[in-house]
Amino acid sequence: MPLDIDRYAHVDSPLQRWDTRIKMATLGLFMLCVALLETLPMAALALVLALMLITLSGLPWRFVSDGVKWVLLFLLPFFIIMPLSYPGDAAFHVLGLPFAWEGLRLAVAIVTKALAVVLIAYVVFGSSRFDVSMVALQRLKCPSLVVQMLLFTYRYIFVFVAEMKRKDTAMRSRGFVKKSNAHTLRVMGNFVGTLLVRSFERTDRIYKAMLSKGYQGELRTNVRFAAGPLDVVLGALAVSVAVALIVSDRVGLFVIAERGWF
Amino acid sequence: MHISEGILAGPVLATGFAGTIAIAALSMRNMDMEEVPKVSVITAVFFVASLIHVPVGVSSVHLILNGLVGVVLGVRAFPAVMLGVILQAILFGHGGVSVIGINSLMLGGGALAAYGVWQLRHHFKLAKREVIFGALAGGTGLLFSGLVLSLALLTKGEAFFVTAGAALAAHVPVMIVEAVVVGACAGFLLRVKPDVLAGHRVGLRVKSAATNDAT
Repeated sequence: MPLDIDRYAHVDSPLQRWDTRIKMATLGLFMLCVALLETLPMAALALVLALMLITLSGLPWRFVSDGVKWVLLFLLPFFIIMPLSYPGDAAFHVLGLPFAWEGLRLAVAIVTKALAVVLIAYVVFGSSRFDVSMVALQRLKCPSLVVQMLLFTYRYIFVFVAEMKRKDTAMRSRGFVKKSNAHTLRVMGNFVGTLLVRSFERTDRIYKAMLSKGYQGELRTNVRFAAGPLDVVLGALAVSVAVALIVSDRVGLFVIAERGWF
Repeated sequence: MHISEGILAGPVLATGFAGTIAIAALSMRNMDMEEVPKVSVITAVFFVASLIHVPVGVSSVHLILNGLVGVVLGVRAFPAVMLGVILQAILFGHGGVSVIGINSLMLGGGALAAYGVWQLRHHFKLAKREVIFGALAGGTGLLFSGLVLSLALLTKGEAFFVTAGAALAAHVPVMIVEAVVVGACAGFLLRVKPDVLAGHRVGLRVKSAATNDAT
């Protein structure tokens, strides 16, 4: 699971050069529209568009698939539960359970949409440095307090993952083995407690260090945005594709075809 | 545990966003800049804890600990959980961007419910009340989230009845795991650094003794 989502933000591609504010706003709208699609052909089209965006962004496939495979794993149960639990006529029976094609169609549509949205999110946050993304978020009128806390948290996550690994090694070297019993759970409780106490003490020091460097509760940055005509055109393109997707989803050709199996 | 992208309808997603923004605004009122690093640190711990796996029988579950966030941060637990959900959506694609609202409501609401249960401990005089109420709070956090999850799935109609039931049933083992972990953690924090706990009353007894002397 790649935690440093902006590892390839330095790669040069049209998406990396695109103004982060416009990219975030328009592709954000795009993701919302994809999430609201209902027909399978439109969802598939959205997935193809998302894959094209990934190709355009120049993010290595390996990096993207590393993250996406967890999402797929998470969505796998849908393929089993939905067809077997869909109310209505069953096509045939599997182990005594009714199997409905409509349920499978629903599951495929859900997974396709979810994949498309996750891929676009990768494009948005993978093609700009994380701090630049956050500054862009602030320019898009996201409250400054929220943006600052997001930046802090992102920073601490790496610190704590490292700390957790150290502590895990320490525990294992003393012979601790995770088992399915109450003792393990209590030890995990103490483990989390230690992590909390240590991080609280760290907070104090960090806060004092920040104050001594002149922190006054504002986010100051050197990041400057300058949107050219090309940025705006790309944004308009993204919005119109999103709107076209959702409109043809609701009134388009495929709605009639949907009545049958598509 | 998250509601995945692409399941819920527009109105439910919109309700999620509206509810989250309203509760976040309320729960972040009067927030000092001093609190910014503190809330962020707990958010990071909450985020990292979701990477810890605990074996349960033949399978394993990962900790969620939204109840613990409530126990530690009190009302500020809501923004903390919301930030955690946002980062999980950005970094992992867990859940997704359009379901940030409903997922924050589900997990953050659980954290607030856990805080409510946790505060009830002041009404009891038990030897291990922090452990007991910590465990109750940990369980409550997940129970609330599980109920919201099932309700959200039910809005999709009959096709999702079984899925909603399965989702709720899957929460039971996780709830027990979390209850024990949060209870142990609350007991540990009480011994080691009690002022970390939300609503911890420091020196209450000393103060009442002083007033007794005066009268």
